[in-house]
Amino acid sequence: MKLTPSVLTIDFSETQTRICRFIKEYVKNAGAKGIVLGLSGGVDSTAVAALSSLAIGGENVLALLLPEQETFKQKDIDDAKTVVEIFHLQTVTADMTEVLDGFYRSIPAYKETDRLCKGNIKARTRMVFLYYYANSQARIVAGTSDKSESYMGYFTKWGDAASDITPIIDLYKTQVRRLAVHLGVPEELAMKPATPSLWPNQLAESELEIKYETLDLILYGLERFMKPQEITEQLGIEEAIVNRVQNRILATEHKRRMPLSPKLGFRTPGNDFRVPRHSY
Amino acid sequence: MKSKLKLALCQIAPKREDKTANIAKIEELAIKAKAAGTDLAVFPEMTLTGYVLNDQVYGLAEPIPGPSVSKIEEVAKQTGLHIIFGMPELSDKAQATVYNTAVLVGPSGLIGKYRKMYLPTHSVFEEKRYFRAGYEPAALQTSLGTIGLTICYDVFFPEVFRMHRLQGAQLIVCISASPAVRKSYFEILTAARALENTCYLAYVNLVGIEDGLQFWGGSRLIGPMGDVLAKAAYDQEDFLVCEVDLADIRTVETFVPTLRDLRPEFYDKLRVLSEQF
Repeated sequence: MKLTPSVLTIDFSETQTRICRFIKEYVKNAGAKGIVLGLSGGVDSTAVAALSSLAIGGENVLALLLPEQETFKQKDIDDAKTVVEIFHLQTVTADMTEVLDGFYRSIPAYKETDRLCKGNIKARTRMVFLYYYANSQARIVAGTSDKSESYMGYFTKWGDAASDITPIIDLYKTQVRRLAVHLGVPEELAMKPATPSLWPNQLAESELEIKYETLDLILYGLERFMKPQEITEQLGIEEAIVNRVQNRILATEHKRRMPLSPKLGFRTPGNDFRVPRHSY
Repeated sequence: MKSKLKLALCQIAPKREDKTANIAKIEELAIKAKAAGTDLAVFPEMTLTGYVLNDQVYGLAEPIPGPSVSKIEEVAKQTGLHIIFGMPELSDKAQATVYNTAVLVGPSGLIGKYRKMYLPTHSVFEEKRYFRAGYEPAALQTSLGTIGLTICYDVFFPEVFRMHRLQGAQLIVCISASPAVRKSYFEILTAARALENTCYLAYVNLVGIEDGLQFWGGSRLIGPMGDVLAKAAYDQEDFLVCEVDLADIRTVETFVPTLRDLRPEFYDKLRVLSEQF
């Protein structure tokens, strides 16, 4: 197998059809009135918003804009509003600053300097806002994680990963960008640098120390059981980079699973108690 | 035996774990198939219960003959049709040993069954976790002729179809629960199985979404030259009436004489190589 950018080419129309059918069916089976998602102005949430709108109509999709003082960027708000306009979404803006300040003040062990712990509070607070609207308006929470970030564990456990459905979890970041353009998202927005916005000036590629174009090819190779050495040779990169990616996948598997439990009984919830989902 | 057969390919999305609703749907479409002048109505794999059952399969499986089969036999008697459908079969010699089975009933009752030989247990599939594999090909004698029964992943194994063909089946039915990511494989392989055996192949797939798994439909009748003679819609329920003319096989067998050219002396070698692989 040749690891060239062309391996990441997908049939966008087919992908759109599959994801839209999935969203539509899930909302219908759940007896839900629509979708709620956090719209950051980034490409992932934009793509999920667009697909949701195409699946069930923008009037049934609520986009929550959840700014907070520390990471506030008018550009992100403007981009989110552009998406709302293009895909005819319903929208609510809720400033989280006060709630976050309350958390910071109320946690005895809180340290302002521990930016990861602080950032995770933000991701989990966003989740609380989303589920409030889901519960109160009978909506399904659509997660916006993509495959690249999921494999890398680049998300907050029970934060942005908490959702009812994950429509783009099987698409790499570079695929999401191109799908977004296919769906009618402005190119500039689709290609803008990714950030989880947990602290100021945070950029995904800087933190991951790799460009998504390279990362996605490494992940694609590993997904297909290619050996790290083979990936290294084909991409002309250091083997340490591929090993780092592989190790990170393994180290973050706990974030992609239900909690681990000791096996004691006959059938164990989340383990070998296996039944299809009956309600949503 | 009839030379010309009219088939109804009933591409449905069964209601999962609701046998009553699914039997009602089979009856509804059998009546429609009868009105369309067909001889045989074919429904997808696990029509009776839906495909994604996990541990629920133990509570849903039934012996054959059994209560659900009796109800569908009654539908066949009332309509005068032959009906093929899929269901989880509970072994009559055990209490929780289950097969993934295709059943053929006719106006005179149960004709026979086929237990899926190749159980996919990879990717999203976990059939070996729940099902015991079958051992017998089922080229069943009917008043319509000899009909071979196969199920889904069997299509990746030419020997299953070859065994049915060598037992005299000129029409082989493949009922399926194929998810969308595998569409292209099935489109290729169903044509290949028909062509290499110079037989008709009626492929009937599920539609709908079960636990996130999207079935793509695309049921079809393939002629003995491997050409798609009729094709149902993708991704939605459909009811397709199509015609088989077994007389056409005669010509094809002269043009593509694979049956004449069989070399059984290689099969022992194939067995040994498979065992040593």
